[in-house]
Amino acid sequence: MSDIVIVGMSGGVDSSVTAKILKDQGYNVECVFMKNWEGDDDNCNSEEDYKDALSVCNHLEIPLRSVNFSNEYWNKVFQYFIDEYKRGRTPNPDILCNREVKFKAFLNYAFDLGATKIATGHYAQINESENQFQLLKGLDKNKDQSYFLYLLGQNELSKSIFPIGNINKVKVRELAEESGLINYAKKDSTGVCFIGEQKFFKEFLKKYIPLEPGIIQTVDGKICGEHDGLMYYTMGQRKGLGIGGGHGFKEAPWFVADKDLNNNILIVAQGHDHPSLFHQELEADQLHWINEVPSSSLENISAKIRYRQDDQLCSITELSKNSCKVIFKDPQFAITPGQSIVFYDDDICMGGAIIDKRF
Amino acid sequence: MSYFDHCATTPIHPIVIDKMESTSKTHFGNPSSLHTSGRKAKSLIESSRRIIANALKASTNEIIFTGSGTEANNSVLWSLIHEENKHVITSSIEHPAILKVLDSIAPFGISYTKLPVNKFGEVNPKNLEESIEKDTGLISIMMVNNEVGTINPIKDLIEIAEEKNIPFHSDAVQALGKIPLSVKDIQADYLSFSGHKFYGPKGVGFLYKKNESKLNPLIIGGGQEGQFRAGTENISGIVGLAEAVRLAIENLDNRILHLEELESEFKAKLLSLSSNVIFNGHPEKHVPGVISASFLGKRSDILLVELDREKIEVSSGSACGSGSVKPSFVLEEMGLSKNQNTSTIRISFGRSNSLEDVNTLVKALVKFTNV
Repeated sequence: MSDIVIVGMSGGVDSSVTAKILKDQGYNVECVFMKNWEGDDDNCNSEEDYKDALSVCNHLEIPLRSVNFSNEYWNKVFQYFIDEYKRGRTPNPDILCNREVKFKAFLNYAFDLGATKIATGHYAQINESENQFQLLKGLDKNKDQSYFLYLLGQNELSKSIFPIGNINKVKVRELAEESGLINYAKKDSTGVCFIGEQKFFKEFLKKYIPLEPGIIQTVDGKICGEHDGLMYYTMGQRKGLGIGGGHGFKEAPWFVADKDLNNNILIVAQGHDHPSLFHQELEADQLHWINEVPSSSLENISAKIRYRQDDQLCSITELSKNSCKVIFKDPQFAITPGQSIVFYDDDICMGGAIIDKRF
Repeated sequence: MSYFDHCATTPIHPIVIDKMESTSKTHFGNPSSLHTSGRKAKSLIESSRRIIANALKASTNEIIFTGSGTEANNSVLWSLIHEENKHVITSSIEHPAILKVLDSIAPFGISYTKLPVNKFGEVNPKNLEESIEKDTGLISIMMVNNEVGTINPIKDLIEIAEEKNIPFHSDAVQALGKIPLSVKDIQADYLSFSGHKFYGPKGVGFLYKKNESKLNPLIIGGGQEGQFRAGTENISGIVGLAEAVRLAIENLDNRILHLEELESEFKAKLLSLSSNVIFNGHPEKHVPGVISASFLGKRSDILLVELDREKIEVSSGSACGSGSVKPSFVLEEMGLSKNQNTSTIRISFGRSNSLEDVNTLVKALVKFTNV
């Protein structure tokens, strides 16, 4: 019997095609459906997703198993997510989910089941040379998901395959349709998996974090409205501020420029180009490197401070074991504490850190 | 494929399939219609009812067809919301088709007491006696537990209920076809049964309701089943169900012998080859062919997958394949340690299993569990 590869199967088109490709390559493929969230706020449609996963697996004649990691998710991802929001920051739970659930709990489970590799439908690539495993961007630059995977290490990368990392999304959908997979046209998932669409966000958060209303001030100190709690807002946010025209201001839209956590004040600026929305330097911590740790500062690398952002030229000027200081070539819009900065050397994902402060 | 999961469901008996097929082909009438097609369909329903009543020594008007064993349970429990006495006594290891129903009818004033079980999974009649309250309106205790096969001292329990004049219901879906069952002998007010547990079709079951016992219908409509369960009858399903009951009762002795043989062969072989197996449930008072086995040091979710790869199908008590294995509440109530609980699988033999199958199973188990 050939090597067992276990695919993390979500019921979406990416993981389905992942399974299909591996099967065609002759692997002994099995799929595992993960249920990571339980409760009344089940907006992840996990029942529907499971049905899709089952149809796909039956069609491909691949066994599908399920596993419940809701405890792991709750303790390792969700608690952190809530704690960060309570601190007025904007965390990225998907990054942590990859490290704690998909590439830890699931990986261990798959190996307990006898797998020699796991595979997921991530748009990223792994390159092995001289026993070093590099994480590369996905071929489809528009879909590249290396940003979400920067917390992986050598152990995880050495045990993983990303079969669609060198394929364009359009081609993935074509493959799905050609292979008769029922979900070939299924919508990509968006937003945070356990909340669902963005419009439910505030309602969801309210259940876990009490409201703490305060005032909204312009960068010049003028009071221009009220907010429900700083955690409901993120840097650069435009929608949902409740200040548009009126208030004696011009028509240009307003953006969240900063949060004064001590005084519970939300600070806003008018116009997308307002200088207070831009910063050129940041400090980040919880630093993680995928390959060798750089011994000193790094010049002329690039970074993303949010998913799908174009690479931004920057240098790491100060570097310690856990934290770093970064200076960008160009000022950056809405640098957001709690989000990750991920470093690249061209297509190689080097690692990243969590943004703490910006200047 | 080797199938050892007959407590989950059974393959339909070929004779049952034939009956259902011919019924589906020839009889499409609505049993409520007055014309010939309707009358023919109606008479099939009634002859099926007669077959079941005879097999269980009940009267025909004591058999109510339902869509499942779960529905039969629901009918009995929901009926209580219209009654004065709203307290229920049940056991802590009932199927969710009892326990979850009781939770969901709480807003209608239903309260309940869960009786503990001993390490074998038996309810102690003394505990029942002590739990009866002034407003106890129903006692519902399963006849045979679905995870370990233990048989409850149902007659002793019913005796207590009778003394206090409290209606008694038993979920008997795991009993029919595995132990002798006569309603004359048992004297319960209500018994729930499910066709697919004894080589009948899925989607059809029945409730035995003693003539003089009260039932408020759960499903209201066209007044079928003597007003107790509305909805146009599943004719071929009912015919198949009756045939399955008939076969189960007629061949009961042979089936029991066969299951006992498989079970003792399995246990003896396994014990001789395995050092880390423990059997759960009552050593004598259990239905034949149902075995709860713990393999200490081996996680049941992993074992299930390994067996599945070899086309060997068994189940684990723990809820649907969870990685952080959720322990079975039944085994928990029986006092098993978490470790033992999460290394337990259920093997349930059936009529198509042979001694050769037993060998295959033992070999595979030894291969995967000898640590």
